This record gives sequence, structure tokens and C-alpha cells, in this order.
Amino acid sequence: MGRGGDRVLSDLLFWVAGAAAIVTAWRVFRADSMVRAAYWLMASFVAVGVVLVLLDADFLGLVLLLMMAGEMTIMAVFMVMFMMNPAGLNPMMMVHQHRTSIVAGVVAFLGLAAVGLFGAFPVAPALSAPDTTARLGRELLGDSMLIFETAGVALLATMIGAIAIASGSGRYGTAADGSVEPPAELASGETP
Amino acid sequence: MSAPAGVLRVLSLAVLGVGAALLGGVYAVAVLDRVVGRAIARVPLRLIDAAVTPAREAGLLLLQRRTVTERPDAVVWALAPALLGSLAAAALVAIPLSPALALPDIRSGIVYFGAAMAMVMVAVYVHGWSANSVFPLIGAYRFVAQALSYEMPLALVLIAAALPAESLSVSDIVRSQTGAWNVVRQPLGLPLYLIAGLGLAFWGPLDFPDAADLAGGTRAELSGAPLLLWRAARSAVLVAVAAMGAAAFLGGWLGPWLPGAVWMVLKTIALLVVLLTAGHLVARVRLERFVVVAWTVLIPLALVDIFVSGLLALRGAGR
Amino acid sequence: MAGSRRATLRNALARFAAGAPTRVFVLEGIDAPDALDVLQLRPDITFVDTPRSATVLLVAGRLPEAMHEPARRAHDAMAEPRATIWWTLAPDDGAMLPFPDATVVPAQPNGSPAAIVTLARMLARTQAELLCAARPSEPALLADVDPAPWRGVGPYGQGGAGMTGGVPYGRPLAGRAPDRDGLELDQLPVRVGPFFAPFPAGLVLDITLQGDVVQEAIVPGNAFVASGGDGSPVRVTGDAFHAALSEPVRIADLERARARHHLRWLARMLRVHGLDALGHRTLALAASLADSLPRGALGDVGALRRLLERTRGLGWATAGVGVIDPRLVTGRGLGPVARAAGLSEDARIDDAAYDQLGFAPVVQEGAGERTRHAVGDARARWRQRLGEAMQSLELAARAGDRRTGGEGRPIEGVRGRSSDVTRDSPSAMLLALLPDLLLGQEWGDAVTTIVSLDIDVREAGRAPGAAPLSPPPAPQPSGGMDGMAGMAGMAAKGDHTEHDHATGQM
Repeated sequence: MGRGGDRVLSDLLFWVAGAAAIVTAWRVFRADSMVRAAYWLMASFVAVGVVLVLLDADFLGLVLLLMMAGEMTIMAVFMVMFMMNPAGLNPMMMVHQHRTSIVAGVVAFLGLAAVGLFGAFPVAPALSAPDTTARLGRELLGDSMLIFETAGVALLATMIGAIAIASGSGRYGTAADGSVEPPAELASGETP
Repeated sequence: MSAPAGVLRVLSLAVLGVGAALLGGVYAVAVLDRVVGRAIARVPLRLIDAAVTPAREAGLLLLQRRTVTERPDAVVWALAPALLGSLAAAALVAIPLSPALALPDIRSGIVYFGAAMAMVMVAVYVHGWSANSVFPLIGAYRFVAQALSYEMPLALVLIAAALPAESLSVSDIVRSQTGAWNVVRQPLGLPLYLIAGLGLAFWGPLDFPDAADLAGGTRAELSGAPLLLWRAARSAVLVAVAAMGAAAFLGGWLGPWLPGAVWMVLKTIALLVVLLTAGHLVARVRLERFVVVAWTVLIPLALVDIFVSGLLALRGAGR
Repeated sequence: MAGSRRATLRNALARFAAGAPTRVFVLEGIDAPDALDVLQLRPDITFVDTPRSATVLLVAGRLPEAMHEPARRAHDAMAEPRATIWWTLAPDDGAMLPFPDATVVPAQPNGSPAAIVTLARMLARTQAELLCAARPSEPALLADVDPAPWRGVGPYGQGGAGMTGGVPYGRPLAGRAPDRDGLELDQLPVRVGPFFAPFPAGLVLDITLQGDVVQEAIVPGNAFVASGGDGSPVRVTGDAFHAALSEPVRIADLERARARHHLRWLARMLRVHGLDALGHRTLALAASLADSLPRGALGDVGALRRLLERTRGLGWATAGVGVIDPRLVTGRGLGPVARAAGLSEDARIDDAAYDQLGFAPVVQEGAGERTRHAVGDARARWRQRLGEAMQSLELAARAGDRRTGGEGRPIEGVRGRSSDVTRDSPSAMLLALLPDLLLGQEWGDAVTTIVSLDIDVREAGRAPGAAPLSPPPAPQPSGGMDGMAGMAGMAAKGDHTEHDHATGQM
């Protein structure tokens, strides 16, 4: 039957996407190169986005992809900026406290699995052909309008402010003037 | 027929159709670029030369050996051009050629296009990073700055184009233009889209990652088949930009006398010529200037575009 | 059977691909033949901006000793199949070439068109033979080895003292320095070598980059000055301006040469800013001025100027970039650069012959005048040179047989005042200005500034005490482009024992 074949296909896609999400998330911590780690994380998010699309939340899934492309690139840029060995060329131990983190990860997994298996979820029938985008839009501009519009405007203002700070006028003047720290002025009697 | 076979049929149609469109589009970009360039340079050009030389250059690059830099991120460096090309192909999937020749409609086509084009930033950054060389690295970082700046105007004008259609699907957007094309109803839309599109395809005035002042930038260390693939992928992104512009602003397949698919192709070629001419006539702007203009001028203009478009949609709905 | 079918397929592809424009990377040395731009105009030749994707390495002129190592690296950077061709006016001076397998092509001093065609055909034939494997690709000249082996010392296999020491493969890890916002960011010292495509031929800069911002730029010497040499200038032979110092020369020829030079410079400027087609058009205009003054030249240049001003693109790219304070250039005979900053300095003002023609120098808006544009920026400089080119064409058309020069007075050369008396050439003075000018600029603006100054490194050797090129600051990799250092974020030069890396980062 067509319906059965559909379900087999979507189930298969779900399991593949889920496995991909977990494997790529594990690869994040095995990669020595920071850029690779950031993009393994993005791959994990892409798999999660695929799962969201399978759940008929296609708008949310695609927006997740859209956002994660930019966000993971920013993360890669910041990791390169702050780490002393971002390309992993210097063979050194790139992780710290790994035993503690493995224990914490296993405990968290067991906890979440327990919730998933033994928790009593409410039973609600899935809608046959939901237009999730329309429902999402009505929610955003209906009951949740205040929250989202405030957050949206605040985010936009933050972005524009960050760009203004990072523009050609550095802290010490414009780039055209060299934008260098002015030499320290000595009070009379002081020697450098 | 059973669902897996149906899916397989759609998949093969997608791959073949989009692949053919992309190859044709990339070749058309190469030919048109040569024609437009020679016209501006006031150099006589034989059309047969323009048509065959891109193929010869492709052959030459195929016969060249690829170069190896010192300790590159080899896997990523090899995959980046393929990633860029597949993103362009993925974007083309959302754009219908005509009602008959379209793949099954994607409900959130605009968002899907935006997601594919957002990943272009990843592809170019990773391409410049992985070569382990100075000038590609600078090109990659420049592209990150440029990409963050054009993404919002690009998304906003496409959303404005979706408002009269009351749907995010590209086919519905085309159908909503039966009365008047969006370039007429939303005059700000197409110019803003073309500027953002030039940034997205890093072409001409916004070619920061592959710039001449970086001796080629991210493609400075490429040779042989990877260079060919990178240049083709870049042209493919330009084709995707032009195709979406034709669909969202120029009415897609709508038009008298000729079949819809032909109109779509003609409109795409028209936008390609506009973009290529801009590439040959406008010098590469300063990146800092572009970032400031994108955030302080283009985004407010795009917001105005959405506001006006929404007002018109509300008036139309209220009537 | 499959192998031979593949071979025939490959041969067919090779024959088809051989018809593509020859990909040439040019190394310009001393005495580079003037007809290089005529070669560039040919449709069957493409000058590429990086040796990586080139098929043929064209060495134009002689390469001094200091340029041999970068030339070898450029050669090895080329992708196989590759070949080298040496095009020079003095082919017997074999010591001036580091390539043993190069094909030597003698150049003609007057650059006849037939010789150019022969050279172009030879380049095409070389590419065809390389692609069809009829000619072996040239082997690498340098060994592909790391500058230093890697030896781990620390507990996790890293080298050196503690976690932050060690010099893996001879490339020091990044050091940090404050940037223009007071943050501590990585610094990358790069030697941008003598064959960097956007730069003037032979210009070498030791640049310290933070991101793409130039934090420090040093001119480490002049590649064209031989070690142990006397810093004497190297001049292109047959220069009309040089002849005018000793004997009377027709004003028409002088002004035509000036217009040609400015148009060639403008073509380079346009190319650096991504306008290849317009650059081609400008170069074609310049090439048409090589021997005579065509009738429509002034109209063509005027049309070009209107196009550049109407599209505004080049104006956006250059406005406010590389501003030079007029006080720095006053009275130093810096020609177009000074006039672009609003100073009315021109050796032709004192010339009676020019006075008869009603000459008044073209000057851009100066300090103190009402203008919404910056004074003495790159935009003023390209508008100045374009205006001077038009003025020169107009003077050349009207000059008839009038002559000037040969009286021991200074002559207004294309870059500024030149005279018999040994003094700093304009290029030497402009090179001295570069470190302060480039400080704090982004890379694109820095390149625009350097190109807008129109520096000729060959003539800068005239400066007293011009030093030969010092060795590069950090071990440079083999098989790579000039000026690459390792990655690890951004590698930095020198030792970093004095940098105190915060342990909190760990």
C-alpha cells in the first residue's frame, strides 16, 4: 500500500537522520581541528533539521538549517580566534577532563532515556494534513506576539550595534589614521 | 505505484533535470561573460569563439594536475567546491520551470532557498580555510563578513515577494503575479535582490573572497579539476540567484505566446546579463563600506519594501 | 584495450584543449620588454594572477640575484604540466636566470608586431606540447621538505617547553598582539614577494597582518639592487623622458609617451579592482599610442573617462583611501601624486615651449577648497592621471614640431621631476612613505593605495643607500606561494618566550 510504503520510507529516514545526528555529535569531540569540530556540530543540526521536516514542521526545520549555517561559522571564527591550536596541527591533547564529561554524558543520557521510556506523555492524535507554517504564524502574531516582537527588535538592535562597534573606527580612531594606541603620556618627572 | 518507486522517480527527475539545467546555466554564464566582457572592452568577438572557448578552457583545466599546499585540510578542501555546487543545485530544486515541468512543490520554498544559500557561507569559508595559505584565508574571512551583511536584505525582499502570494511556495509566488509582476508592485524588491544576489554569488563588485587584490583569493591555490569545479560552482550559484529572481520578481513562467519554460529561461538569461554587466562595469567596492551600507541602508529599505508590500496585501485582502 | 582507448580519448581532449588561451604567469625583471602589454591584449593569451593555475612561466627581462629564490618558488608553485620561457633583450647573460630548462627567446628593442606574434605562437605551441605530453613537464627546482622536523617533547607529544612552546615543522605558533580595538589577536608576518600580481613589479613588503588589517609594513630593501652594488638605477632603455635630459625631444613624442604610461597604469588599476574588460580597453588605447597618435585617441579616452565617472564604481572603491597629507609631498617633485593632493607643481610650467602651447597643469582639489571628497586620496590620483593623459593627448595633437629638453633643466617625467643631478627618484620617496600610509588599513585598501602611487621599484634603486633585499623574516615553505607561513590559526615570527600566554586560556 502507498501509505505503508510512505511510512517505511519516513521511518527509515528518521532512523538514518537520528543516527547521523548522534555520530556527527560524537565526531565533534574527536576532531582536532576547530573548524572541523564546528562543522561536525552543524552536520548534527542538519540531521535534526531533517527530523523536524519529517515531523511536518518544515518551516522550523529549514529555518534551523538557515540559522545554523551562520551560527556554526561564527563559532568556528571564535574558536580560531581564541584557541592556540585551532587547526590541530600541533599534536596535543585537545580535550580536558574527559573522564568527568563522559560520566556526565552517560548520566544525562540515562536520565533522558528514562524520561522518554517511562514518562507518561499526553495522548493526542496527529493532525492529518497540518499547515504548520500557518499555525506557527498565527501563534507568533497572536498570543506570543509581545515576546517574539520584543526579542526580534532587541536582536536586530544588538546586531546593528555590534556591527557599529566593529566598523572601521577602532577604539583609538579611524583606520585611516592608523588607529593605534596613543603613546603613554608621562607626568613630569617620570621616566618610562 | 508504490511509494519508494515514486520517490525514486522524483529523485531521478530532480537529479537529471536540475543537473541539466545547472550544466546549461554554467556554460551559458561562461559564454555570456565572455560576450559581455568583449563588448565592454570594445574587442570584436566571433560567436563561435565565445561558444567553444569555455569548453577548451575546461579541457585544459581537466588536463592540469591539482596542486598540493603544505598541510591543507585535504578532505575539506576537496569537498568544498562540490558542496558549493550541490547547494546551487539544491536551490534550483525549489524553482519551477513551468507548471508542467516542475518538481513537486516545496511548501516553504523561499525558506528552503534561503537555507541552501546560507550554507554557501560555510562552503566558501571552509574552502578558504582549508588551503592553509594566507590569501585564501583572508578571502574566506572577508566572505563571512560579507555574507552576514547581505543575508538579511536577501531574506527580507524574498519574504516581501511572498506576502501577496500568502504562501512561501515559489510556484504560488509566480501564480500571484498573474495580475502584475512583483518588479512593478514592489519596485524596491528587484534592485535589492540583485545587490544581495551579487554578494551571494560573490561576483563583480562584491567579489571579496576571490578578489584580484588577493591574487585570486580562495582560488589562488587551486589548479586543475578543483579549479574548474570551483569556477563552475560559483557560476551555478549565480544561475540559481538569477532563476529565483526571475521567478519571484519577473513572473516566472508567465507571459504571452511562448511556452512557460521558454519565458522562464529568457528571464533568467536577462537577469544573468544584468548581473554580468554589473560585474564588468562596477569596480569591487570596499568591504567595510559595503558592510555599513548593507546594515544601515539596505536593511531599512528592505523593511520598507515589506511594509509597503504588506499594506498592499492587506488592502487587497480586505477588498 | 581500455588503456589505449583512454589514451586516445586523452589525446583528443588534449588537442581540443590546446586551442584554449595560453595561461601565462609573468615574472617581470630588469629590462622587461615594453611590448608585454601588447602580449596581454592578444586573445590567445591569458595572464593569470597566480602561478598555480598557469601553464607557462614567462620571465620577461633579467632577474637579479635577490629574485632568484622567489622565482624558483613561483616556478615550483605552477601546476604540472609546466614550462618556462625567458624573453629578454640580453639572452647571453645566463647568470641572470635560475631556470636551467627555460627556452630563451630574444626580444627586439623596438618590439615589432611580428616578434610579438611569434612569441605568442610559441607560447601557444608550448602549451599544446605540454598538454599532449609531447614535451615533458619541468621538474621542481626546490626540495619539498619541511624547514625543520617535528619532534615531540611534552607529555602529550607536543614539542618545546610546556604546552605553549614548540615550533612544529619549523613554524612558530601564533603570537598575539593588541589590535586597533585593544583586543589581543593573532598576528601574521608575511613577506609579499616580488611577483605578487597586484603590486608593481619587484615590490617586496614585509607586512604584519591582523586579520586583513595591516599592522606594520616594512620595505625590506630593493630586489633590483644587487648585494654589493652601488644602488644605481635600472632604467628601461629607449625612454623618451631619459633622452630629454640630454637632447631636445619633440613635445608630441614626450606627451604621447606620458599619456601611454598613464593609460597603462590605469589599466593595471582597473584590473586590480576587478574590471578586467575595462582594463583591456584601456590597455588597447595605450598600445595604440606606442608609435603614433591616432586620430580618435582623445575621443576614446574621453569616453572612457565619462564611463568611469558615470558608473561611479571606481570612485566608491577609491574614495578616502590612501590619503596623503599635501604637506608630506610639497616641493619634492612627486608629479601626479602631488598634483592630486592639490599642489600645482609641474616642471613644465617653467618651460617656454609649453608656455607657447598654453599649458596649465591639471590639479585636483586641494586642502582648503570646498569639496566633499577627501584631498589626495586614491580617487584623486586616478582622476589626476586620467586628466593628465587627456591633456597630454591634446598637447601632442597641437604641438607640431616644437621641441623641449636638453638644456640641463629638470624634466617632468611620468612620476615626477627627473633631472641629471643624482637625487631621490619619485619612486624612492613614495616607497619611503609606504609604511606610514599602509598602517591600519585593510588589505583591499592597502593594495589600492600601493597601486595608486604608481611606484617603479626599478627606478627606486637610485636612492642613496638603497639596501639590497634582506632575507625573509620566517622560514618560508617550499612549493608554495611567496610569503606563506604556516597555519595553526595564524603563525607568527620570532620566539615567543616573552609573550605570557594566560594560563586561564587552558
